[in-house]
Amino acid sequence: MLALVLRGRMELGKKIASALEAATFDRVAAVGLANAERNRPRIARSVLDLRETQLGAGNTALIVGAGPSLHRRRSLDRLRASTFPGTIVAADGALGACLRAGVVPHVVVSVDPHPERIVRWFGDPALTEAPADDYFRRQEMDPVQREDELRANRALVELVDAYGPKMKVAAATSAAPAVVERCEQAGMELYWWNPMYDDYDKPGSLSRRLWEANGLPCLNGGGNVGTAAWVLTHAALGKGRIGLVGIDLGYAPGTPYEKTQYFPELVELLGARHREAFIHTENPVTREMWFSDPAYHWFREVFLEMAREADCQTFNCTEGGLLFGDGVITSTLDAFLETAGLEAGKDHHG
Amino acid sequence: MPQFLKGNYKVETKIEDKGDAADSTDEFEKKALSRLGGSICFVSKKSLMWQGEAQPKASRADTEDGTAKARHDARAGAERPDGTGKENRQRP
Repeated sequence: MLALVLRGRMELGKKIASALEAATFDRVAAVGLANAERNRPRIARSVLDLRETQLGAGNTALIVGAGPSLHRRRSLDRLRASTFPGTIVAADGALGACLRAGVVPHVVVSVDPHPERIVRWFGDPALTEAPADDYFRRQEMDPVQREDELRANRALVELVDAYGPKMKVAAATSAAPAVVERCEQAGMELYWWNPMYDDYDKPGSLSRRLWEANGLPCLNGGGNVGTAAWVLTHAALGKGRIGLVGIDLGYAPGTPYEKTQYFPELVELLGARHREAFIHTENPVTREMWFSDPAYHWFREVFLEMAREADCQTFNCTEGGLLFGDGVITSTLDAFLETAGLEAGKDHHG
Repeated sequence: MPQFLKGNYKVETKIEDKGDAADSTDEFEKKALSRLGGSICFVSKKSLMWQGEAQPKASRADTEDGTAKARHDARAGAERPDGTGKENRQRP
């Protein structure tokens, strides 16, 4: 048992969450910087160049994450049935669900430096047998993966190959080279940015050194790819009205703890006390009791901190999840889509 | 120091230095915690985007070169596999 969990009175999950800013640096900085070096010969464009490309109309964008509400609320089917004119930005984990639902995002965001896992979100042509790693089977993020991983992967390879040339990838320099290679192979155009690793104003800052090395903007990633997609959409693409679907930052009611993203790690860290690390919170709109683990709790706190100060309107259209608070406006997806259509009409007619 | 601090008796309890064990626990704790971290860093109290020294500084509420205010009109809408995006985005 760790000393950490025995000290202080704070709830266990929140206590661990408070240590995750530093822990994330420990987790990703070295491999992210190594990947930046390996990706360097492939870097030709900055994400700022995306402003000059063909994206959606107007000031509105919709971010698609891979949270459970995406399936529970059929968000993509409803998006597909709408006439949403804005820009669609997908987290890499949501790409498969988007394409299967008939939605081709304008931009796909990828950040995770993991050497093997992330390429699966783009369909891995080299996958010939179900891997021992149960990361995809275990979780609720993409239910198709649970049924038959190999078949789902083959289908995704075909979809990404077919629609790759219509999509752009906002790739962090930390992204695994296997992901970069796969995107290029599928004809996706890559636009690059640096993850912000530390305070660029401090002496010896890694962020500063990275910027000096490649000249790319540094984005404050917020802990996860969904939040990074929101940051990118606002700060790099300049969108001022941003809707969110599938960005739950939590687990749906009834999800077994064993199926949560960090379950093995929590068991390793806490042993028999791992259940105490989960934090249950009622969604004020749906009145459902969702829950988070320390990582998702931290992601939520970080998102709210950033959203409170950002010069944009953020609409949570997930119709579930745990992302509510100052700086985030709760809306139904239908209302957001309808308003976006009306706004575009006004723009169109002057 | 031991040359100055000399006892005139012997203690029966043997005191072990647990420094290494503590270091080992800390290391385990750090490693285990790092596996709970996210896929990308968050740097608190800094701007959403930083583009280097050439840009004028701005508040955390925006990007450090003010680019979030530089809204631009994009030219097209969402594309769909069946190609209906263009029709849809023309609808008022």
